Amino acid sequence: MDGDPADMNVSQSSSSMEVKEDMDTRSDSENQPAGDALVDINFCGSTPMLWKVSDMRRCRSVGVIGALVGSLARQPRQNVRLGRPLELLQEEALLLVETGSAAASLHTQDCADEEMHSKDVRQYETGLESSYKEQCALALEDKKTVLRRIINEKENGTDDSGNAIRDRLNALDQAFCFPLSAMAVQLCTARAGFSHCPEERSFLSTDWPVPRDERLNTRFCVYRDLRNKGFFLTSAGKFGGDFLVYPGDPLRFHAHFIALCISMDEELPLCDILSIARLGSNVKKTVLLCSPQSRNETGKDESVEGDVVYSSLQWSSMV
Amino acid sequence: MADSDTSTDAHKLNVYQELLSPSELFEARSRSHKIPVKGQKDFLPDGSEKQTARLQQSLDEHWMLLGEERVERLGNLVKAVWILEETLVELQSPAGKFWQTMGFSERGKQYLRPEEALYLMECGNVQVFYRDLPLSIQEGYEHFLSCETVTLLQYQVFGHLKRLGYVVNRFDPSSVPSAYERQLNLPASSRDKQRKQLKRKRSHSPVSSEKQNTSPVEKTTAEDQSDELVKSSESPAATDLPPQEPMQSAEASDRTWWIEGDVQPPPAQAQSTAPRWDFSSISFPDLGSRRSRSVCLASSDRSLLPGALEVGDCDVTPWLSRLNVKQEKLSRRDRERQRERDRYRRDVNSDREVRRCRNWAEYLQLLEERRRRQQKDRPAHLWEREVTPLTQPGQCASHRELLDQISIVKSSSWTEGVSRLSPSDQWKISFDVYQPDTVAEFKKNHPGKPYSRMCVCSFDGPVPDLHAMKQLSFQSGDVPVTFAVVDHGDISFYCFKDFKLPTDVY
Repeated sequence: MDGDPADMNVSQSSSSMEVKEDMDTRSDSENQPAGDALVDINFCGSTPMLWKVSDMRRCRSVGVIGALVGSLARQPRQNVRLGRPLELLQEEALLLVETGSAAASLHTQDCADEEMHSKDVRQYETGLESSYKEQCALALEDKKTVLRRIINEKENGTDDSGNAIRDRLNALDQAFCFPLSAMAVQLCTARAGFSHCPEERSFLSTDWPVPRDERLNTRFCVYRDLRNKGFFLTSAGKFGGDFLVYPGDPLRFHAHFIALCISMDEELPLCDILSIARLGSNVKKTVLLCSPQSRNETGKDESVEGDVVYSSLQWSSMV
Repeated sequence: MADSDTSTDAHKLNVYQELLSPSELFEARSRSHKIPVKGQKDFLPDGSEKQTARLQQSLDEHWMLLGEERVERLGNLVKAVWILEETLVELQSPAGKFWQTMGFSERGKQYLRPEEALYLMECGNVQVFYRDLPLSIQEGYEHFLSCETVTLLQYQVFGHLKRLGYVVNRFDPSSVPSAYERQLNLPASSRDKQRKQLKRKRSHSPVSSEKQNTSPVEKTTAEDQSDELVKSSESPAATDLPPQEPMQSAEASDRTWWIEGDVQPPPAQAQSTAPRWDFSSISFPDLGSRRSRSVCLASSDRSLLPGALEVGDCDVTPWLSRLNVKQEKLSRRDRERQRERDRYRRDVNSDREVRRCRNWAEYLQLLEERRRRQQKDRPAHLWEREVTPLTQPGQCASHRELLDQISIVKSSSWTEGVSRLSPSDQWKISFDVYQPDTVAEFKKNHPGKPYSRMCVCSFDGPVPDLHAMKQLSFQSGDVPVTFAVVDHGDISFYCFKDFKLPTDVY
C-alpha cells in the first residue's frame, strides 16, 4: 500500500471551473433571480432543509447536491426516487451561507397575529371558492369540446344519434353539474406564501443549531476545498468515509473518491486505514485522506483559506 | 411548477411561486404517473456534447419530478385537524383504506399520530388543517416532528418502511409479554381467546351466550378423551378409575416416562454427605414397568418417619390406573430419532452392572468402585501436585461437557443478568414493524408479534455497546431488534445477533 500525495488526482479536476461555467450558462434563466433572492434554508430540528424547487435549482447550480428525503408527489409509495424536501449536509448549508447565497432560518410558529391570521383564512376561503368556480367553467368547457368532437365524428356517418348528442350539448349549460368533491386542490409542499414571515430571515451565525466543533470545522474545510476544486460531494456513510467525491453531477457520474477527513494531529489506527482502503478498492474507488493545514502552518495571510493535504491510498501491486 | 418561463414573475412574487392556478390544478388531473428511468452513469466528464445533452435531460427530468405539486380531488382527501396540545391529528371526515393499519379511536373520535398524518399528507391522502388553514408538507415537518413525538430521524425511518409497505407502529414497552408470561404461553392463549371473540362478534351472536356454550363442549371432549383412554388401557385396575380429574394429554407427557436417560445421581454429592439412611433396606420400586407389577408397596421404615406417623402398606393400584401403562408405540420417525439419541446417550438401565444392583447402596457402591478404578490410572506426577489437570479421561461424554469443564471464562448469553443492568436513556426502541404480506389480516387492536423492532440511530452517533444491546434485546423479548442507521437521508439496517459457538461436535 502506498501513501502518496494525491495532488495528481486532484489536479485532474482542472476542468472544474469549466463544469461550473457550463452549469451557469445552461441555467441562465433560473440563475438571474439568484442575484438578490437568497436560498431559504429551513432547519427541521438541527437538520438544514430546502423546500422550494427554485432554491434547490440554485443550490445545484453552485454544486450543492444534498439528499432528497420526502415522498415523491407523483408516486409517493416507493423509495427508488424520492422528492422534496432536500436535506443538506451541515457543510453544504455552511458553504451556502458563507458564500452569501443563502439565508438560514429557524422556523417560528404562528408569527402572524390574530388579525393577520383571520385575513389569511378569508383569503384562503375566497381563493378556494374562486378556484371552484373556475374549475367548474373549465370542466364545462372540457365536456363541451368532447361532445363537439363526437358530433364531428358522427356527422360523417348517417347515424341520427348525433342529434341526441347535439341536444345534450345544448342542454349542458343548464344541466351541467361539477360536484365539489371533484374539485382538484393543491397540497402544498413548501410553506404557502401567505404564512410567510419576513422576520424569520434574521438569523445570526451564532444561532447555528449545530455547534461548530473541531470535527465539523475539519469536514467543512475539506468540503469547501474539494467543492472549490470543482468536485461534487455527497455523504459517504455507507462507504465508511465522510464524503463521496464525484467528478461531475452525481445524476450522471459515478463517484471516484471516498474522502476521509482527519485533522493533521489526529492519530488513526493502522487497521482503520487498512479496512477503509480495502473497502475502497472493493467498490472501485480511491480513498483520500484529507487533512486541512492550519493557517499559520502554511505561512500565508490570515485571510487566505488554509490548504488541504490529500493522500490517496492504493493497494500496491508488489509481489 | 416553477418553470423557467415563470421565474421572472416568481422573482417578484417569490413567495407565491409554487401555488398552482385553477387551470393548472384542473390540468393536473390528467397527468402521468410514470417515473422516468435513470440511465447508466458515465465514468468521467469528457465535455462531449452527447454527455452534456444527457446530463441536461436527466436534470430536466429531475426538476420536473421535484417541481410537481400534489393535486388531489377534494372528494379523495380525508380532512383532519392538528391538535397542538395533544400532539395528535383528529379526523374530520371518514377515514380511508389507511385506517386498517394506522390511527386509533378514543372517546368516539378518530386520531392519527403525527408521523402517520405526515406520511399520509405526503401520500396525498389527508389534508391537515391548523387554525382553519391547510398545512403544507413543510409545516407538517415543522409542527409534527419533535422530541416529544417522533424526531426527523425516526420519521425518515418510519416513512422509508411505510413506503416499502410495512406496517409500522410506535413501540410500546408494556405490550411486550414478560419472559414468565412467554414461558407460560399466556399472551398467545389470551390473544387466541380474543380473536375467537372477534370472530363471533362478526357472526352476529352475543358473546356471553356463546361463551357459556363453549365450556360444556370443551368438557365433553375432554371426557371423551379420558373415556377412550380407559377403554384402550389393558390394565384391569383401570375400571376403578377415579372420576375426578381426567388425565389430559397423557400420551404426550408420558412418553418420556421410562425412557429417561440421564438419571445418574451426581457421584460427588453422594461422596460428601455421609449416608444417613440404610440404603440396603430401600428397594427400587418399579411401578411403571408392566412386566413386574407389584400391587402393594411395603410399609416404609418407621425410623424414617417423623413422630408417631404410621404408614401402612401402600396400595398402588389407584396410582397405576392413573399412569399410562400402555405399551409405547412409536412411529417410524420417532423410533429413528430415539435410535439416534441412544447412540450418544447411554441409558442407565441398559448398563448390565447397574441392572444387577438390587438397591441404592449397591448402586452407590458400584459408582464408587468405578471411580476408584478410574483414579487408579491417574499418573501421580499429574495428579499429586499442586496444579492438577482440569479434567481427566473418561469424565466427559461430549465435547460440550469437556469445554464446559475446562473453560475458565464462561460464555454468557444476552439474556443473562439483564435485570441487573441500569436502563439507558440513549438507546430506545422506536417502532414495531410488521411485514407487508400480513397487511390483509392485520388488526390494530391485536397486532400480534412484530416481525422486527426498530431502533433508530445516526451515523454520527456511537455504535451500540453490549450493555445497550443486552438492554434492547431484553426489552424486545423474543422479537429481533434491528438498528436503522440514518446517514443524511440514506438509511441502512443492521442487526446484531446473539451467537453461540458450536461446542457439541460429535
